[in-house]
Amino acid sequence: MNEEHVIIQQVYAAREDAQAADRFIRAYMPFIRAETARFLKRPPIEGHDDELSIAMIAFHEAICGYSHARGTFLKYASMLIRSRLIDYHRKERRHRGGVSLDTPAGEEDTPLAHTLSDEKDYSEEMAVREATREEIQELTRQMEEFGVCLSDVADNCPRQQRTLEACRKVLRYAKEHEELLEEMLQTKKLPLAKLSLGSSVERKTLERHRKYLVALLLIYTNGYEIIRGHLTQVMKGVAAR
Amino acid sequence: MKYLVMECHPGYAVLLDEEGRFLKAANLHYEVGQTVQSPVLMREKPYGRRRGRWIASGIMAAAAACLLLFFGVTYYQNNILTYSSIYLTINPEIQMDLNRKGMVVELTGTNEDGKELLEGYDGRGKDKITVSDELIDRAIEMGFLSEGGMVSFSIDSPDDALYQEYGKELMENVTEYLDGRIIITIEVENYRTGDSGYGDSEYEYEREQPENLVPETPAQRAPEVQTPEVPVQQTPETPAQQAPATPAPQPQAPADSDYDDGDSGYDDGGGSGYDDD
Repeated sequence: MNEEHVIIQQVYAAREDAQAADRFIRAYMPFIRAETARFLKRPPIEGHDDELSIAMIAFHEAICGYSHARGTFLKYASMLIRSRLIDYHRKERRHRGGVSLDTPAGEEDTPLAHTLSDEKDYSEEMAVREATREEIQELTRQMEEFGVCLSDVADNCPRQQRTLEACRKVLRYAKEHEELLEEMLQTKKLPLAKLSLGSSVERKTLERHRKYLVALLLIYTNGYEIIRGHLTQVMKGVAAR
Repeated sequence: MKYLVMECHPGYAVLLDEEGRFLKAANLHYEVGQTVQSPVLMREKPYGRRRGRWIASGIMAAAAACLLLFFGVTYYQNNILTYSSIYLTINPEIQMDLNRKGMVVELTGTNEDGKELLEGYDGRGKDKITVSDELIDRAIEMGFLSEGGMVSFSIDSPDDALYQEYGKELMENVTEYLDGRIIITIEVENYRTGDSGYGDSEYEYEREQPENLVPETPAQRAPEVQTPEVPVQQTPETPAQQAPATPAPQPQAPADSDYDDGDSGYDDGGGSGYDDD
């Protein structure tokens, strides 16, 4: 009983703090592995079996969605892991007609992927990925100045299209009034009143999605060209304006 | 849609889609900066499901309420609502309100004796026949009904078929109940039309002629009615009956006529058709 109480405390702490969540997941990796093995009927291979990753995200979902009404945490997590793995397998079954790139080709057991001609320039791709990583690291560092991390932003991101559109409206207004972005960078605060007034979006909406707006507006300050290049849909909206 | 891997955690990865959404997804051996397609996105917190569950619960509750209302109304209509009434008259007058099933829902004494008869008696929920029998018993005990007395059932029902059914039931059952104990007259009539389709004095009639259980209808009894016989006299036709078209010639009465005594047996007051001149 006491042990369950400790687990629940850890679950609630993990829900509030991304690092606590990471620690909790690491601590319960044997449990997650065991649940995956029970489903696969063999031990999962880390770095190879996607099922283990699915089980881990299911465990994270269990952390976010747990409540007392759902019974003991581990039983709930076990149930969630199993249902996610079943869903994943059903989804994968649809693609079973295709041939895996890992299928041995010819007599020398060379994977099929190695025999295919590849026109991609891997060195260029790796360079772009490295540049992107640097941009993301810089963004993460800058967001930390605002007391925001990417996990928080993901949790705070608008789910409804209407809210997403309202946030884009704020972005358009901020882009048209560069001084607001400057003010934000200097004060490390979101000028909510001015943004709300100028964009005609309710202040309540802005407050609710403050962390997301910080990330979005930071991306549209100087730098972050690669990330902005990725945001084609958002760019379309801004360009149209 | 393409997703940019923004952050990797042991349990999940944070991805950025092309529309500007930051999403959590299963970390399928991703690296930060990598662009991926078809990730396994983390499912939303079950708000939607909760809402769906609320909606489902609401619908269930509404359905249950409708069902309850339906059964409630049906129960009320069948068991509580007065559908018909029987007015029992001995000397005490009792109003018996019945539900659709013929069970008593209310008993009211409509005169002083009726109130006295009902004192300390609760017939609610009992069948009309039981209540009728018990009330007749009480009336006998309390001296309201004795040998040769009369019990009248006036049935107020919305349709004639029910009146017929209740009338037959009451007549047969009460008669059977009192068989060999007391001779009384039982009368059944339709409260609305005043028509006593079961006739009166049936019980008495049946008691006296048990072999003839079918009550006579008034039509059957009609021929028994004897009108007083008028003495038939072979009298000459009245002048009105034999009024001639032309003035009749004066009769030449014979000297020894039967009519000469002046007592003709006809009214002398005129209109005789005969000229006295």
